[in-house]
Amino acid sequence: MTSGTAIVVSHDDPHALEHGNRGISNPILGMILFICSEVMFFAGLFAAYFNVRANAPVWPPSVAEVGPIAEKFNLHAEPWFAATLTVVLVISSFTCQFGVWAIRRDDRKGLVRAIGVTLVLGIAFLIGQAYDYSQLGFGLGDGTFGTTFYTLTGFHGAHVLAGTIMLSVVLYRAMSGQFSARHHDAVEATSIYWHFVDVVWVALFSLLYVLPTH
Amino acid sequence: MATTALTPAATAYRSGLYDWVTTTDHKKIGILYVINSFLFFLIGGLFALGVRSQLVVPDNKLISPELYNQLFTMHASIMIFLFIIPMLAGFGNYIVPLMIGAPDMAFPRINALSFWMLPLAGIIMLSGFLTPGGAAAEGWTSYSPLAQRAYSGMGTDLWIVAVALIGTSSILGSVNFLVTIFKMRAPGMTMFRMPIMVWTVLVTSVLVLMATPVLTSGLIMLFIDRNYGGHFFDPATGGNAILWQNIFWFYSHPAVYIMILPAMGMISEILPVFSRKPLFGYKAFVFATAGIGALGFSVWAHHMFTTGAVYLPFFSFMTFLIAVPTGVKMFNWIATLYRGQLTFSTPLLFALGFLSMFLIGGIDGAFSAAVPVDFALHDTYWVVAHLHYVLFGGSVFGVMAGTYYWFPKMSGRKLNETLGKIQFVLMFIGFNMTFFPMHLLGLDGMPRRIAVYASTAGWSQLNLVATIGSIIIATSMLPFLWNVFITLRNGEPAGDDPWEGNTLEWATTSPPPPYNFDHLPPIRSERPVFDVRHGRVADHGSQA
Amino acid sequence: MRLKHPRNAIGVGLVFVAIGVIYYLLSRDAGGTTTLVLLGVAMSIAAYALVVGTPDDR
Repeated sequence: MTSGTAIVVSHDDPHALEHGNRGISNPILGMILFICSEVMFFAGLFAAYFNVRANAPVWPPSVAEVGPIAEKFNLHAEPWFAATLTVVLVISSFTCQFGVWAIRRDDRKGLVRAIGVTLVLGIAFLIGQAYDYSQLGFGLGDGTFGTTFYTLTGFHGAHVLAGTIMLSVVLYRAMSGQFSARHHDAVEATSIYWHFVDVVWVALFSLLYVLPTH
Repeated sequence: MATTALTPAATAYRSGLYDWVTTTDHKKIGILYVINSFLFFLIGGLFALGVRSQLVVPDNKLISPELYNQLFTMHASIMIFLFIIPMLAGFGNYIVPLMIGAPDMAFPRINALSFWMLPLAGIIMLSGFLTPGGAAAEGWTSYSPLAQRAYSGMGTDLWIVAVALIGTSSILGSVNFLVTIFKMRAPGMTMFRMPIMVWTVLVTSVLVLMATPVLTSGLIMLFIDRNYGGHFFDPATGGNAILWQNIFWFYSHPAVYIMILPAMGMISEILPVFSRKPLFGYKAFVFATAGIGALGFSVWAHHMFTTGAVYLPFFSFMTFLIAVPTGVKMFNWIATLYRGQLTFSTPLLFALGFLSMFLIGGIDGAFSAAVPVDFALHDTYWVVAHLHYVLFGGSVFGVMAGTYYWFPKMSGRKLNETLGKIQFVLMFIGFNMTFFPMHLLGLDGMPRRIAVYASTAGWSQLNLVATIGSIIIATSMLPFLWNVFITLRNGEPAGDDPWEGNTLEWATTSPPPPYNFDHLPPIRSERPVFDVRHGRVADHGSQA
Repeated sequence: MRLKHPRNAIGVGLVFVAIGVIYYLLSRDAGGTTTLVLLGVAMSIAAYALVVGTPDDR
């Protein structure tokens, strides 16, 4: 039996996409396009990071260049906390998707559970990020390293915050029974946004904590 | 010809203030955009008059250098961000849903939000003048280190916030346009039956969606540098002033196509109607527009040739390449006119003005694409001539053509032709008088953005001519404003289709009812209204 | 080549990735390459969503 509204609605016919495509709903299509613009926003930030990094003789900047604070720049030495945050966020993407699959089968309780867990994980990420900031030992003004680090992770964190607000609204509406298998655009749109936020974090984590320095 | 309206024509807009402030109707929002943008056009124009009055004679002490810098910065910022981009968005807002047979835009409330962010942003930007340091004064390009805290005050922060707000408004608008165009076309209107204006708005929306966020990221970086001790653009601490230029121009070059493509779309609608011929090479227009949009992303550093930090051959080559699709459009417009039955109404006059002036501006650009030429002409008045020929001679003339063409649809009344022709003549003469001499000034080495020049430089005469020209441009606004006033008060009723147009907006009343169409004609080509008028499609009184 | 086929829509973005790669090879400019390549990614997503998202009955 075909389930209710998926992102792309098509007839049961296996050749549906060729002649029976009913398309993506307007709000979901709008969210996807908005995410494209967000990709370009992060593109500007990443471009700045790569540019600054490439122009530096040594990256992270050395103690000789910027003083003793440079010792704090060695994120690669202790990536474990950030790695934990990464795992938290990736799991939250899975739980979010479980919620989407649940409502597509009209499992409203499953939706509430899944979105609730996702929201908790999202908030945990934010708290973890704030804690990490407090332990780092360098600030936004500490040379180009500090500036780029905090700008990149800070704006990502802002996007996570926006995502948790969206998840809260979705959770509230789910608990009020406002979603069904046929009508749950907000769930689909929010989950797409949440996956995007997750992908950006994976890229950031890889870039800031894993990528070899020079 | 049978009327296409089942009900009497909708009454002219006499709804109250509350209705206008809370409306989500794309037609009212479009009109709000147009009015707001026009007001900023006048303000930006006043700043230009300030610039020209300072430059009218050498060694002039009329305006201090500090104020002069604010004037040219705010002139450009207002014209670009608060006039031309929103003006074209406003026309798009009004016309696109009508042209595709839709009842409104995809997201009407976001549409309203997009609009109302603009007057707010304008007020924020202009409030810089009230701060101790004055408004932003480092050029609309806001290069570091001049844009850093050491050299500029709160006016710059206000400018940053305002531009970021405007950018957000644009991005939301672009999402709206794209979903509307792809998802809400009337039955029968395939992509390749859409009017070219809709295609240009489509491509423009893609450019806005993809390029504007990069500017936003740069603005944020600048704000962080200025206010939170950041080091993005500070070479002393490992940053890079050229980084700002790269990020800025990655947006601002596509921005110039954002500023011209919808105007080209308008011209592509007007020329066929006033030459009574189909547009020549419809598909070529579509592909040329897409090509311009795509190539527009790969030329940004041609604004930075002289920095020494740019891979010159790539950008020079790509810049020359863009001339090709643009040339295709130019030839196709001319081919549309060729052997047509021309009616020299005001919309056509402005369209012809567009073609000739944009051609000059485009050729200017082709010169600058050659790196050695640019090395000599960069930051001189040659560039000022080029940009005004494409933006004023191009976009503004396009907007004026669109205004005269669609005014009857929006208001139910036709603008007076005699006043329109007077405006056109004054504007055309004034424009060329102002900006043509700037080619010569640039070739003679006069730099941009200087508040004072010496009497021995030999630039006095041409500057005097340019200033007189600018006064003529300002004067040309008077017949226009008078025209709008008397037409709205007591103009001749226009009817559904005063110009014998081709596209769907002429298939409903002037102005249209809130839901746009009582009845859509069958859509079998890119000229559905033309088809019905000439009996090429039997109008069975129901939709396809 | 039907542009309307979703696979071909992704090709729209690949053009920019290709330009980005060529640009990198010629200029070694990390910043500009990043914006061009990510532009390609964003364009592919947008083109794919618009093509798949548009109903066929027009």
